[in-house]
Amino acid sequence: MNQTQTSTGPILTTDGIPLKVSLKKAERINKIRAFLLVLPLLAFILITFLVPIGDMLARSVDDRQINTVFPKTFEVYKKWDRQGLPSEEVYKTMFFELKNSEGYSVGKASTRMNYSKSGWKSLLKKSKRKFKKIEEGPFKEQMIAIDKKWADPEYWLALGQMVDPTTMGYYLNAVDLKYDSSKNIVQQKENRRIYNKTWIKTFKVSLLVTLFCLLLGYPISYLLATLPMKYSNLLMICVLLPFWTSLLVRTVAWMVMLQQKGVLNNLLVMSNLIADENRFQLMYNQTAVVIVMTQILLPFMVLPLYSVMKTISPTYMRAALNLGASPMHAFYKIYMPNSVPGVSAGCLLVFIIAIGYYITPELVGGKDGQMVGNWIAYHLKTTLNWGLCASLGAILLAMMTVLYWAYNKIVGIENIKLG
Amino acid sequence: MRKAIKAAFFGLISIAFVGSATADITFVSWGGAYTASQQKAYIDTYSKGSSITVENYNGGLGEIKAQVEAGNVTWDVVDVLPDQAITGCDEGLFVKVDQSEFINDMVVPPVSDCVVPQIFWAYTAFYDKAAFPGKKPKNIKDFFDVKKFPGKRGIHTWANALIEMALVADGVKASKVYEVMSTPEGIDRAFAKLDTIKDHVVFWSAGSKPLELVSSGEVVMALAYNGRIGAAILSEGKNFEYIWDATVLEQEYLVAIKGGNEAEALEFMAHASTAESNAEQAKYIPYGPMRKSSINIIKKGEPWFITSSGNIDILPHMPTTPKVLKRAVIGDPVWWADNGAEVHERFGAWKGS
Repeated sequence: MNQTQTSTGPILTTDGIPLKVSLKKAERINKIRAFLLVLPLLAFILITFLVPIGDMLARSVDDRQINTVFPKTFEVYKKWDRQGLPSEEVYKTMFFELKNSEGYSVGKASTRMNYSKSGWKSLLKKSKRKFKKIEEGPFKEQMIAIDKKWADPEYWLALGQMVDPTTMGYYLNAVDLKYDSSKNIVQQKENRRIYNKTWIKTFKVSLLVTLFCLLLGYPISYLLATLPMKYSNLLMICVLLPFWTSLLVRTVAWMVMLQQKGVLNNLLVMSNLIADENRFQLMYNQTAVVIVMTQILLPFMVLPLYSVMKTISPTYMRAALNLGASPMHAFYKIYMPNSVPGVSAGCLLVFIIAIGYYITPELVGGKDGQMVGNWIAYHLKTTLNWGLCASLGAILLAMMTVLYWAYNKIVGIENIKLG
Repeated sequence: MRKAIKAAFFGLISIAFVGSATADITFVSWGGAYTASQQKAYIDTYSKGSSITVENYNGGLGEIKAQVEAGNVTWDVVDVLPDQAITGCDEGLFVKVDQSEFINDMVVPPVSDCVVPQIFWAYTAFYDKAAFPGKKPKNIKDFFDVKKFPGKRGIHTWANALIEMALVADGVKASKVYEVMSTPEGIDRAFAKLDTIKDHVVFWSAGSKPLELVSSGEVVMALAYNGRIGAAILSEGKNFEYIWDATVLEQEYLVAIKGGNEAEALEFMAHASTAESNAEQAKYIPYGPMRKSSINIIKKGEPWFITSSGNIDILPHMPTTPKVLKRAVIGDPVWWADNGAEVHERFGAWKGS
């Protein structure tokens, strides 16, 4: 095309501008117009979605807080050989930087330092108050006299983890590892190893919920898609009614149903199926989380399944049966493959929602039903360790991305259908 | 018709704008009977011009920190726990207040420069009298003794107060609890004691739940907030009995959020923390006032607690009477601000294993 144009010379419009240029100009206006149309949406997504995620990722590695509050201390700290106690110089710099610090920087820094070694918080607070009276050195002895924690090398060693402005410490923390004082990666103390177990549990619960949703949701959706309209509408309302009920109400209703002195156990005891002292423990544990979440997330499985099954023409099955396939065989060979896009959509949807679930595990999880979401909430609200929250969140995000990628490789993302 | 709708629409919008133009205060607290008592004791009686909107929250500094960091502060006065009062004040989330009015009138000194006094509340064990027709549990040792008193125990899902109680049940004196907790062996000892009831516990996280658990017979004893137990006995006629041993007293404060309507908030907080307001609150909920003079007001005014069928003596339900204080642990928020995260993670590991 181009070649023919150059060989014959450019085609001109009536006002002498090459047609190509003129066309481009007109198209550019159209493009700008189209872009302006999507701009609000783009800006919305950018502000409410991408920026917070970026901020979260940044927080998960950010470790500048201490370096800006105690810059000089860290300079002299780097020279320390990490044997015994630091020199008088380190004490002296720390003393003046703490004494002369203003505003709330020390408070924020001490919160961070407390993550590395419990006790820094009150140490700094107490020391800052008492330092006012001290005018001259030697500072080491006087500081130790104020609080003997200043003589504990553990506290000083813990600072070593914070020397760099960025840290992988939060990520390590999120998988039960940590830095030791010379920045080697070591396992967390045994009685504080909780996150790996929580990750496994979160995965297990989400997988079980997805599986049960599929097992329960498939026949329901099949019925919905094949029954005559007047019955299927009624059934649809039965599916949607719980969907419209508040999550909390449903969760609490399950508590009434399943607890040891609850409806189900009472019925079983009344009908003499189990003895009074052998009531099932169905509430406040992992079983409860799986049961309740399955019920709550069921519509997310049924709806995509139904909308896909609705499009499978009944003539396919009839043709298969006509050609001599047994009903089982026809179902397996014809119906199932056709419903796969719905199955994948439903499973992915349920799994993604389940893995980040918070409120149900919090209410019915009891001793072993807490998931990752519960720990994020705890650190977000109580310890204010947002770095750890961010790293837990980022790992969740990464896992979902990997899952999505694997799914795309195995099944193909074009095979997903919500309707 | 369309014009009318339009007019109505813009009318509504302008009302909304006029409404938000006057400086009002958003007061944030924990909800339930507790917020109701605050409402009656000093929100309804406040007449300094600012109108007060009440909201509920579930504790923690997360929302406050987010509001302050984003520069979009919608909460003005918040009811906080002492360790949050310390952290929030240190991190500059709260406004510093003039404490000269009450500083010499407090049962314990205020935990930070940003607070005005509210109440003492307590974690305490209790049971339904009907559950123990014979011998009744009398102290925290009995709570931890599943042989002597078989049956499930209701405990909360976080470590505060449980560590203290476990240590007292293991023989540590109430006054020495934090000394023992400051050693690694002390914490090990507490967890070892908790191990003895591990297979017999039901966890709760919402304050109303332990009452439900005990009422329904799901557990035979539980730990709960003393105010909730008191409210159930006083207002619902429940047959509960306190175990006033190793009761862990916690402080509760009001703070003003930086960047909110600070001047109005401080004025309101001054009103909310007078000895009279502190005492007045005990008419509606059996928590202990933090000001010494409030207790005298109540003593003189007994029967102080208001119920639909006349007034009742409130002091027997309070966690700050000398009889209770003698065997109580006064919670140390500084210890928890220091060690809370570490102990809580360990507690989480303990729960899940």
